[in-house]
Amino acid sequence: MSFRIHILAAALVLTAGSAAAQQRIATLDDTALAAQACNVCHGSQSYLSPTMPPIRGVDAATLYTALIELKTDKRPSTIMGRISRGYSDEQLKALADYLSKN
Amino acid sequence: MTSNISRRNVLAGLGATAGLLATPHIARAQASAGRVVVIGGGFGGATAARYVKLFSPETDVVLVERDATYVTCPFSNYVLGGFRDLSSITHRRDPLRQRYGVRLVRGEATAVDTNARSVKLKDGASLPYDRLVVAPGIELNYAGVPGWSEQAANTVMPHAWKAGPQTALLRRQLEAMADGGTVIIAPPANPFRCPPGPYERVSMIAWYLKNHKPKSKILVLDAKDAFSKQGLFMAGWESQYPGMVTWIAGKDGGKVESVDPRGMTVTAGFGKEKGAVINVIPPQTAGRIALDAGLAEQNGWCAVDPASFASRKAQNVYVLGDASIAGAMPKSGTAANSQAKVVAANIAASLRGAAAPAAVYHNTCYSLVTPEYGISVTDTYRPGPQGVAVVPNSGGVSPAQANAAQRKAEANYTMGWYAGIIADTFG
Repeated sequence: MSFRIHILAAALVLTAGSAAAQQRIATLDDTALAAQACNVCHGSQSYLSPTMPPIRGVDAATLYTALIELKTDKRPSTIMGRISRGYSDEQLKALADYLSKN
Repeated sequence: MTSNISRRNVLAGLGATAGLLATPHIARAQASAGRVVVIGGGFGGATAARYVKLFSPETDVVLVERDATYVTCPFSNYVLGGFRDLSSITHRRDPLRQRYGVRLVRGEATAVDTNARSVKLKDGASLPYDRLVVAPGIELNYAGVPGWSEQAANTVMPHAWKAGPQTALLRRQLEAMADGGTVIIAPPANPFRCPPGPYERVSMIAWYLKNHKPKSKILVLDAKDAFSKQGLFMAGWESQYPGMVTWIAGKDGGKVESVDPRGMTVTAGFGKEKGAVINVIPPQTAGRIALDAGLAEQNGWCAVDPASFASRKAQNVYVLGDASIAGAMPKSGTAANSQAKVVAANIAASLRGAAAPAAVYHNTCYSLVTPEYGISVTDTYRPGPQGVAVVPNSGGVSPAQANAAQRKAEANYTMGWYAGIIADTFG
């Protein structure tokens, strides 16, 4: 439930800032590259998905908890359980941190 | 030196390309930032162009593409199903120029000089590069099915494996056929573009027939003995379209040996069948320019370094998407989009003399069994000694047992995936 509220808040922030397209990915490291995979479904700074929850700018702890719960099937999902099992907990933590700030 | 792609040459060779005139400041990119030429503006090429600009805005990026617009193969099966139209899956590339400064050059690449690092276009213009991305998609092998031809494809036996007029032709044939006819679909052996595509097509044609011509049948004559998401598709056909679909494996005589476009018949191992509509999906190779540039192996596909998608055949050249040999990754739009991000990161890093980040790849392929019944396969990949490999104990297909709400959720996400990948690819 609190996750829902967080993502709604994030959606509002993103909507407000979505007029200008994302122009630059400032960092070029393992996590920044891996995180770009999420854009396809979840959108980016410049695009909000009609069906998938936004994840950019969401609190890092909230995102990390969600990813771990998805990975362990504690939280039901269609494909995110399958996807999150492709990453170590440390990698998911780094992704959550990156997505919260970028 | 390379900054001499010379606006002059391009302007002389290509005529007054609108994008070039609109963005003169981009044409004056610093030589130190490098020039990247991308051949092909599909999911792979367009994503590569956009992400090179995102990782390295100062790099001059030129995207060479033959066609004015892009009609996506993903969702073209829904045109056949009758609930999307072609215009809704036709996209322009202008945002790549307007928002990111990619230079769009309309033309056909006909040769690559990998020593001189230059791409030749059909009209005679040449485009020098520091790094080249080759993303030409596929070439259809019209000679791969005896009796079939490009002319047959354009008149009576469409492939519809490149979306656009071929999709419209197959749709018209479905609309014109009488109730009670047989639709024959003949998928090729591996590897080919979009492994689940023929079977989603079966589903979408079944959806149309069930609602409009319910006495009709679908016969799938397959060169293969197994196919992507097979259990999920076959269970879906059984529950949603009982008795309508017959799939014959290659080992059971399903492999098509020849077709007769005049008589509208297909001869397979088990005998001859007449079809009211016949959809031949032929064998394929990497797109023509990849073959002509000497980037392909004997088998017609391009070997690459699994850590970067750098060509095994030429320096400073990357081949991605359907044209590449991508190990465990399928030839899909999402796979091409993912490979393009790794390629863009490698190019951006190499142009600034830095080490590239570690490659990780992703693929998700959604398929619809009905408009409200979606299934998926998704995987995460990393480079391995045998090529790109699935990360162990991850990924896989939708569960065999799922309720209607779960299938509906995946159908809903199918729509979200499409909107998202279009935005991520074309800006």
